[in-house]
Amino acid sequence: MTEVFPVAHGIVGRSDLPIPEWLFGWAAAVVLVVSFVALAVLWPRPKLSRASFKPLPRLSRVLLSRPVDLLCGLIGVALLLLTVYAGFEGSQTATANFTPTFVYVIFWLGLVGLSVLFGNVFKAFNPWRACGRAVAWVARTAARAPMPAPLAYPERLGHWPAAAGIFLFAALELTASDGDTPQTVAIAALVYSLIQFVGMALYGVEEWTERGDGFSVYFALFARISPWSTRDGVIGLRVPLANLADFRPLAGTVPLLAVMIGSVTFDGAAEAPIWTGIAPDISDFLQTLGLSPEKALEITFLIGLIAAIAIVYGFYTLGVRGAQSVGGGFTTRELSRAFVASLVPIAFAYVAAHYFTLLLYQGQAILTLSDNPLGFLASNPLGEAGTDIFGTADRAIDYGVIGATSAWYWMVGFVVLGHVAALTLAHDKALMIYSDVKLAVRSQYWMLAVMVGFTSLALWLLSQANQ
Amino acid sequence: MILFAHAGHWLVNLAYFVPVIGFLGWLGWTELRSRREKRAERRNAAVD
Repeated sequence: MTEVFPVAHGIVGRSDLPIPEWLFGWAAAVVLVVSFVALAVLWPRPKLSRASFKPLPRLSRVLLSRPVDLLCGLIGVALLLLTVYAGFEGSQTATANFTPTFVYVIFWLGLVGLSVLFGNVFKAFNPWRACGRAVAWVARTAARAPMPAPLAYPERLGHWPAAAGIFLFAALELTASDGDTPQTVAIAALVYSLIQFVGMALYGVEEWTERGDGFSVYFALFARISPWSTRDGVIGLRVPLANLADFRPLAGTVPLLAVMIGSVTFDGAAEAPIWTGIAPDISDFLQTLGLSPEKALEITFLIGLIAAIAIVYGFYTLGVRGAQSVGGGFTTRELSRAFVASLVPIAFAYVAAHYFTLLLYQGQAILTLSDNPLGFLASNPLGEAGTDIFGTADRAIDYGVIGATSAWYWMVGFVVLGHVAALTLAHDKALMIYSDVKLAVRSQYWMLAVMVGFTSLALWLLSQANQ
Repeated sequence: MILFAHAGHWLVNLAYFVPVIGFLGWLGWTELRSRREKRAERRNAAVD
């Protein structure tokens, strides 16, 4: 619904593809089946969670030093302040203001790529954690005693606050009619900050950040795909995906992953004729109940978002129930949690494929917007002066940075790679939890069906961007 | 009639999901077959 970024979901004109787009889906399914057979034959024992850790003490001394820690925290806080300030004080034209592009493109999408490449970088720049730690330090110093959190984080809360946070952010981006307005984004940033401060004050900075802060949990999950890891205060390297194999899910982790995949699914499906055909009918019906056209459309999109999340959750649960039917004595809940880490590479595949061109094109705009964060023109009739801090204010977006066909191949590549990674993780996990190798492989028939289903859906969604 | 007149549109969409439909169909069929075999084994054991 948000129309900030016209090139958000793919680019037009892939006329020079050698085969129809749907055949890519079939080819991807064949790749998955071949990968599955190869895993069953060549991967008879669990390897990922037993992967070794190679410590890098010199790098750790630099990156985990107090000055670097302080500097990263300050940068994070400064960016949050700039986001809020530009949102309130700047031009309310979404594409002219720093805030929407920074939040929806650089922060929300760019950090996903950085996390997968370099590990949990957001932890260092997290402005809420930095503020929380600063306040805790001041309180400890004043009291001259340790300051434990007043409450223990309830086990049943798990990742539920994080799931709610990511859902609300997706709802703001995809369903609110003014979700791209700089002021709305700034208000959302303030509200989110307030919730984080209350959470940290109640349950402790690290405890809340690792479980309740939606963005921290979101980026930390993607960071587990990367080979970077930290153990006992030392940075080191492991085989990619090994950190995901060690992941311990909490209550709400499966819904969180469903929100992560479902929100991208809805964003893609919202452009499909199937949705554009039924959405006006739902909206008309809601208007007959007395809602204004704008509110009716917002609720229609909210229904669509919830439905997409429910479909993703339902499809995963179907696969888990199928895996349960082969035996082994596990409950649906146990299996659901056991295989949930395999949804993380799928979530990455969805984000990377769906927003690849948005990040490449709109991401460039951040250079211009950083130059003039408030977005006022130099010749603004209202008198507000524009700025040209870095001298890049006139820089235009280079749409020739990648061709339409190349972009398509990249997107298909992300989808296939993400799902093969997911299959590998699920296979490795099955070998860990099932006592019998044959039973483990049989359980994976169902997970393969889930992967093939998500692959088909991903490629269908990509194709809808060009309808 | 509209459904058939616009079949070209939804058939292309359906083409994306043929692999998963086919795979789920195969899984369902193997599941049924294994259940039938188990039932037959139990029946034979009872006769013996």
